[in-house]
Amino acid sequence: MTVRSLGWPVMVTLGILAAWEAVVGALGVKPVLLPRPTVIAQVLWTKAPLILEHLWPTLYEIALGFLLSVVGGVLVAVLVTYSTIVRKGFYPLIVVSQIVPKVAVAPLLVVWFGLGGTSRLLLAFLIAFFPMVINTATGLTSVDEDFVRMARAYMGSRWQIFTKIRLPHALPLIFGGMKISITLAVIGVVVAEFVAAQRGIGYLIVMANGLLDTPLMMAAITALSVMGLALYGVVAIVERAVIYWQQPTDPARGGFA
Amino acid sequence: MRESVTLAGVGKTYASGVEAIREVAFQVAQGEFLTLLGPSGCGKSTLLTMIAGLLAPSRGTIAVDGAPVQGPRRDVGIVFQSPVLLPWRTVLGNVLLPIEMLRLGRRPWEVRARDLLAMAQLTDFAAKLPHELSGGMKQRVSICRALVHDPSLLLMDEPFSALDALTRDQMGQELLRIWELYRKTVIFVTHSIREAVFLSDRVLVMTPRPAAIGFEIDIKLARPRTLDMQESDEFNGYVGVLRRAIETGGRR
Repeated sequence: MTVRSLGWPVMVTLGILAAWEAVVGALGVKPVLLPRPTVIAQVLWTKAPLILEHLWPTLYEIALGFLLSVVGGVLVAVLVTYSTIVRKGFYPLIVVSQIVPKVAVAPLLVVWFGLGGTSRLLLAFLIAFFPMVINTATGLTSVDEDFVRMARAYMGSRWQIFTKIRLPHALPLIFGGMKISITLAVIGVVVAEFVAAQRGIGYLIVMANGLLDTPLMMAAITALSVMGLALYGVVAIVERAVIYWQQPTDPARGGFA
Repeated sequence: MRESVTLAGVGKTYASGVEAIREVAFQVAQGEFLTLLGPSGCGKSTLLTMIAGLLAPSRGTIAVDGAPVQGPRRDVGIVFQSPVLLPWRTVLGNVLLPIEMLRLGRRPWEVRARDLLAMAQLTDFAAKLPHELSGGMKQRVSICRALVHDPSLLLMDEPFSALDALTRDQMGQELLRIWELYRKTVIFVTHSIREAVFLSDRVLVMTPRPAAIGFEIDIKLARPRTLDMQESDEFNGYVGVLRRAIETGGRR
């Protein structure tokens, strides 16, 4: 997305915020139900130290959970691609296990691993890992057979075919998986914080909710959203640098423009 | 003249029981340009794949430079119907791929790769990515790649069939120019009669499945060959003979 293409979404967002401000002000809605955007901004500013204090551990756990799911997902995908036993025996199990809503497992994880970071990391990993496996495995196996034949004709070993052909071919799909995983990792950590935590932005949201401090709750949600967007942006920027040979897919470019 | 490639009683029956190739035997002399001509799906690509060592024959033996083919060999270059260029590698990087696969050390071979690109009039494109090239240029890159490790045998599987007619004529001429410079043994597969006559020293016509060699003819047109020759009576005489050979199922 170029700076120019940001113009439209920014304008639409500002429009919505202005309408929100005006309607809430005109109808006299209580802040506990729906605070005005300016009130939320004010809280964001005045309570920034508190919000940041809770944002950092969340950010750390999201990043770690995401990295774990990327590394783990790619490794499992390699096993799925190269090992018949894993592909035929375990892969269907992994796919079927996705039917279990991982969010529902969160309380169980707390029982098993306690209130510490382990259960939060594990939930983030469980949620974010699956798209990595699916996308990477698809990328590794969707190589045109002609490329493999060509490499074999030049006496390429399995390792060479993997590093020089299959893996680079899979990179666009791997990054596609990472874009999904990073948003899922955010969900995983925050949900785990809802269930049991003494700190973190999810904890702050639940606490503010208990105090009926809706402006603080919405300020925390805003901070969380901005962080999620930034994380997604980092992945997208890295993708652009790594996959220089093709344009990333970008739905915002579409339409008749 | 020394033999480069010898096929004796080569046949292929797939595990499914389908007999793709009944029995094929021929020899190719060193430096010869031999074309296998036949309708699509007659098994000529299968035959080429077996000579490349990518597929084992069910019967018979294949030998390259006197040694039986047991798998891919380092002195064979291969060009496929599509250019099969890695989109993330530059033109030069693609040409050097066989060097990397064969672990030959990039440095000394880069000079040769650049020479080949110069000869294929691609010097200015060495640092470009494949998607910036036209179809004909891509196929020229893949020919450079097939020649980079200095193989003695060049296998070409309908390399120009995906190109438009004008580019195709040009590429044929280019190929002959390169061949006359390096004098590799070439086994060329095509279903175009005119292409076969224009390029080859000798043409083998293959019968439909299960494949066998049905007809053989030496093309005695003078070299170097020019596109003008395609209008000569001699050229069209060969074309006529081959057309009739294919119509009668490749049988004399």
